[in-house]
Amino acid sequence: MADEASKKQKYRTEIQQMMFVSGETGDPSSETTILVEYIVQQQVKELLRRAVELANRRGSRTITPDELMFLYRHDKGKLSRLLHFLQWKDVRKNLNESEDRAGGDATLAAEEEALAAGPVGGPAAGGDPKKGAPAASGAAKKARVTLPWDVSSFFSEQVPPRDDEDDEEEREMNAATLERLKYADERTKHMSKEAYMHWSECRQASFTYRKGKRFREWVNMDAIVGTKPHDDVLDILGFLTFEMVQTLTEEALKVKMEEDQDKKLMGGDSGAAGKSRKRKREVGLFDGPEEEREPVRKEHIQEGFRRLQQPTPKQIYGAKVLGRPILANLRLI
Amino acid sequence: MNPHLSPFASSRNGSHGPNYSATHAYQSSKLRARNSMTDDTLPGPGPPNGRVEHTDGATEDDPRVVAFRTLFSQSEARLNDFLKHGPPAPVIIPDPAVLQSSKSTSRPVPSSKKPTRAIDEDDYGDDDEDEEEDEAPAIESPLLPKSTGAISRGYASPARLANGSPVKPPLLHRPSAASEGRSTEDARKKAQQDKQAAEEAAKRNFHTMFYTFEHDRAAMLEQQKLDELDRQVEAEVSGDRSKTGPGGNTTQQGSLSSANLGASSLMLKHLLSRIDKYRYMVNAQDSQLRRLISEVRKNRSKWASEEKVGQEELYEAAEKVLQELKANTEQSGPFLNRVNKRDAPDYYTIIKHPMDIGTMLKKLKNFAYKSKKEFVDDLNLIWSNCLKYNTDPNHFLRKKALYMQKQTESLVFLIPDIVIRDRAEVEAEERKMQNLDAELDGLDDSDDEPIMASRGRKAPSKAKKGTSTARKAPPAINEGTPGPETKPNMSHGSSLPPRNGFPRAESDAPMEGIINGFSTPPPGTHTPLGMNGVHMNGTQSQGEGSEVDGAGFSLNDLSQGQEMEYADLEFRTWKQVTKKPRAVAAADRKRLFINHRINPEEPALLRSKAGMRRYIRLQKQIQQAQDSSTDSFAFEDKSEEATDIPGETLAEGVEAAEDDNILPDYYDPVSAVPDIPQRLRWELDAEGKVKNQDEESMHVVPAGLFVAPPSIFGRKMDANIHLMQETRKVCSKIGVVKQMQLQTQMYSNQFQKYDPRPFMEKDIDTTVVSTDLPILAPEVCRATFQRSIGKVFYHAGFEEFHPSALEVATDFMADHFQRLIRTFADFANAPKHIPQEASEQAEVYEHRYTMEDALLHTFNEHAIDLDGLDSYVKDDVERLSLKLGVMNDRMKANLADLLRPALDPSAGADGVGAFNDGSDQFVNGDFAGDIAEDFFGFKELGLDKELGLPSLSVPFHLLHNRMHNAFVAQNQNSSSLTGDSMEQPEAFDPMAKDIADEVIDVARKYFLERLQANNGQPLVEDDDLPPKQRFPKPRLPPNGKITSPRKRPIREQQQLAKKKRKLEEGREETSVNGVVTGVSGGVKPLGKLKLDAPPSNPPMADPEKEDEAGALMSPPESM
Repeated sequence: MADEASKKQKYRTEIQQMMFVSGETGDPSSETTILVEYIVQQQVKELLRRAVELANRRGSRTITPDELMFLYRHDKGKLSRLLHFLQWKDVRKNLNESEDRAGGDATLAAEEEALAAGPVGGPAAGGDPKKGAPAASGAAKKARVTLPWDVSSFFSEQVPPRDDEDDEEEREMNAATLERLKYADERTKHMSKEAYMHWSECRQASFTYRKGKRFREWVNMDAIVGTKPHDDVLDILGFLTFEMVQTLTEEALKVKMEEDQDKKLMGGDSGAAGKSRKRKREVGLFDGPEEEREPVRKEHIQEGFRRLQQPTPKQIYGAKVLGRPILANLRLI
Repeated sequence: MNPHLSPFASSRNGSHGPNYSATHAYQSSKLRARNSMTDDTLPGPGPPNGRVEHTDGATEDDPRVVAFRTLFSQSEARLNDFLKHGPPAPVIIPDPAVLQSSKSTSRPVPSSKKPTRAIDEDDYGDDDEDEEEDEAPAIESPLLPKSTGAISRGYASPARLANGSPVKPPLLHRPSAASEGRSTEDARKKAQQDKQAAEEAAKRNFHTMFYTFEHDRAAMLEQQKLDELDRQVEAEVSGDRSKTGPGGNTTQQGSLSSANLGASSLMLKHLLSRIDKYRYMVNAQDSQLRRLISEVRKNRSKWASEEKVGQEELYEAAEKVLQELKANTEQSGPFLNRVNKRDAPDYYTIIKHPMDIGTMLKKLKNFAYKSKKEFVDDLNLIWSNCLKYNTDPNHFLRKKALYMQKQTESLVFLIPDIVIRDRAEVEAEERKMQNLDAELDGLDDSDDEPIMASRGRKAPSKAKKGTSTARKAPPAINEGTPGPETKPNMSHGSSLPPRNGFPRAESDAPMEGIINGFSTPPPGTHTPLGMNGVHMNGTQSQGEGSEVDGAGFSLNDLSQGQEMEYADLEFRTWKQVTKKPRAVAAADRKRLFINHRINPEEPALLRSKAGMRRYIRLQKQIQQAQDSSTDSFAFEDKSEEATDIPGETLAEGVEAAEDDNILPDYYDPVSAVPDIPQRLRWELDAEGKVKNQDEESMHVVPAGLFVAPPSIFGRKMDANIHLMQETRKVCSKIGVVKQMQLQTQMYSNQFQKYDPRPFMEKDIDTTVVSTDLPILAPEVCRATFQRSIGKVFYHAGFEEFHPSALEVATDFMADHFQRLIRTFADFANAPKHIPQEASEQAEVYEHRYTMEDALLHTFNEHAIDLDGLDSYVKDDVERLSLKLGVMNDRMKANLADLLRPALDPSAGADGVGAFNDGSDQFVNGDFAGDIAEDFFGFKELGLDKELGLPSLSVPFHLLHNRMHNAFVAQNQNSSSLTGDSMEQPEAFDPMAKDIADEVIDVARKYFLERLQANNGQPLVEDDDLPPKQRFPKPRLPPNGKITSPRKRPIREQQQLAKKKRKLEEGREETSVNGVVTGVSGGVKPLGKLKLDAPPSNPPMADPEKEDEAGALMSPPESM
């Protein structure tokens, strides 16, 4: 059973890497990763379905990044990260072109790093300043990605980009993003070179990067979307899937932490394993590598997912007003 | 009436007088009556034969009566003597003895007595025939088949006889009568007061209990019966009057009764208004005045008469009694009217002297009663008749009769014992009294009082009735005193002045009167007692004979039985006391309906001021009662009352005092309706037009009710919207510019001018309303709400929106806000509670939620998170305004760039600075790119890279002309502002000879030639030539491209060329000529004309030259 599942599983490594970046230090079981993968799959399918719906409503058959952004319009933090990602993607593309012209393929690593910087956020990516220099030289400026409901869309005319414009969006990053960056910073601070290499490698994990075909098959995209989506869509989906795994892992870790705390409070009657872990925790100073910690289990993921799916107060109120049960729509995470 | 005499006679005896055969008869009849009345089991239809016979006998006394009358006049003189000498007290005692020897004239008293009686009867009979008919049968036993005349005399004696026997109680009380006059009066008053008190108590209770209306119908029907009776009586009385009109007295009084009353009330009204007006000058308190006025009014009853002394009091009381009896319709119903023959065919064979309440009323109205005795006898006759006729002990009428009898007894003693006398007579007596007084010199009092005292003392000793309660005694005595007064009254009839008109209260005066007027006061005193006493004793005292006692008991039992029917005493009181008003109310109600439906024709129900005042008063009373009971919030209310009471006018107070409507409020609900506000009333002014009452109450709706209230947030939104509009304006300009870039052709209406008007919130028009309540205008409110929503839409970036979208949003928002506000109201109006931290004794109630709490709770209930609101304010409004500002600036800059790409700020206002830095822009013509791609081939040559030219497009400012034209086309009316920047240079002086002389030599010759050719006239400037002769001026367009060279058809050019050639040839000739002429003297008139053209037309002068120039400048195709 597990074998079959693992065979079916297409993104075990990626998910493990993403979870590692998200704070899961242990080695999650395949059971867990299968669950995560399943959840992500379901989310992406739902996301695409809704995007298609929106596009149809707009009178278009292909989905554009706008649809995806619209679907996440209420999650401002995620949206700002997405915009950031898209900006840097642009940078990378322009860089690509210019360096292609220059004929240099040595920048591949840097380019990849730039991509990786996207998901986690620019400031945390150490390579950014270095890469900014070549980017700024040519026409490959940071493209401004605007949201469909941004001020610029109020007007019939577009203004040409301006250099002196501050990147306001970066300031918009919310507390969660900052917390995430801080956490990543903390974790990488004392890493050895190898460990950091591993870390940065993990950060580049993606469902879609250079696996476009696999991804499309995985979510059965052709059936859902029909026409070939916008180029950016796949990249955005890659970013979003990364975010999904990250959110899920964080929530699961929270669940697990609560569970551990409960256990601690209840006393170490949960057996020798619990005791030993407790002792380890207490020692602290000579704490072993974090990887030794117990990984999140399937239940934690499940509980985390359940928490993420809880209806919002607005949904509850709407159901009350309309006098019907709360619509059990899948919430996009 | 006449029965007075007989008891008097018997009382003289001091025992069951055996000397009078009549006494026995009377007694028996009395007993019969009593038995029949009181004892159901023992139907006492005792044959009153004996009595009848006696009456017969009595009637035969007639001659004697006449004799007595003569004797009376004689004895009058003796009376004086008697009064002078005879001690009053002893006089009374010997009376019985005197009576026994009635014919002895030695004693004035007996002698006077008999004659008076006789005379009385005679006169009475003469005067009041019709009344006698009524009365006589009533008193006489019905079996007596007597002629009226006989009756008139006869009833006197039987009554007398009848009364004679049982008159023990009178005897008892009689002596004390005079002395106890006051006490009896007091007792009577007290009885009345008791009754009133009971009524009052009942009234108070009325308001504590709700009585349903279900008994009203019965009351109404009964009342109708009574009214019917009254009408009947009234009709008959008036009919009688008109027929007989025996005494102007009666008729006069009858009319007076109503007229007087009306006049008096009117006068009172004036008086009251007068007093109210000069209230400050009156040194009396309101209460005093009220009492005074009410006393004055009270005396003015319809019975009042100047001539008749005592009439008012007697009739007043008698009427009251009658009304009271009558009002008890449940019992009195059968007695109201005369018995109909159809109902009881044999009635009039059995009952010879029918009597009923109606008849009594009639008699009362006709002033037929001269004393209480007569009245009471009539009353009793009714009941006895009934008992007599209905012998079956279980007959329902008997019960009623017995009940009524009992009622009568309880009521009768309220009637003052008065014998009505003419004033003249009384005055005469008074005069006599004065004489006496003068003689006796104040002995009167001492004399009189002893009498009373002795009587008072004697009474107990003589009568075993001393045991009877004080309360019972007085009435008997009371009635005893007037007794004698009635006698003369009867004897003289109405024609004779009644001698004793004094109210019984003044015990002295009557006594004197009695003594003066007749020598037989004592017998008089007894007569009424006979009747009353018997009745009274029947119920009250056990001292009576056993039969009487039995009767009394049975009566009591009966009454108890009656009460059992109405187990609730209170309810019974209620029914009785309020019967009439209730009946009236019910009748009023009934009038409003027709066939169980509301009758639309019926006049509207009106409130009466009195009713309303009463209502307010009652409310106040209740409030007071509550206050006194709870005593918690008393302070404020009391102070209010204190202020209220003086507000009432005197008239109101009086009105209130007299209005004794005892019905509870709910019988008069109309009065509970508060007064209509002044401004809602329908009032007419002097000209009969409706007054406009609204002026004060009307007011204009304050402005700003239907616009968004000014707020910081609102202002920010407005600013944002304004900024958006501005930016959109800029955008539209950019759009136009871009469009011009693409299009070579412009249409005058292609570009609609974008000129958004600023948002204005229009308030409603000036509206006038008459209330302070919120204005209910759903459409306006909705429109206002819609406007606000539209504003939010616009603020969110929608320049336009479909109306249906707006409608839907409005519906949603209205629903949402309703819920929101309802929830908020629920929280804000949550019941107050006592905060926990408050101390126990101080009960401070406060709102459960502060406004803020309520608001937050409401938000929570409706899933409005504060973060969302906060982020809306911060992100969607405040940051938006920043962004908009930036966007606006950039748009403007963009527009400027588009129009003048090279004009960076350093270029200066007119763009001159663009040349300062040696810009090549205008030189290298990168603007030409758009006209023809790489027209100059710069791109091909790679010059654009070399020179760093960003584009080869035509600068937008070069398109300005087109834009300007488009603008002018769109704004025809707007005056062109493009004036001449330089002032026009002064026109040259036309070239004339003198000027030509001053030009330089080279040109001088030419000009002179020209002038010469022009015949010395000044030369005309080219510009001033007529348009057709003008030569076209060569022009170079700004782009340097000569698009329109002089277009002359080739043929024309060829012709021109030919002409030229000819001309040249001609010139050659002329030159030849000229040479010739020049030689000859310089005059060449012919050549002048020929030479004219070439110099003035230099470009045309040599086409070859022109062609050369054209080859350089113009495109080849123009050739």
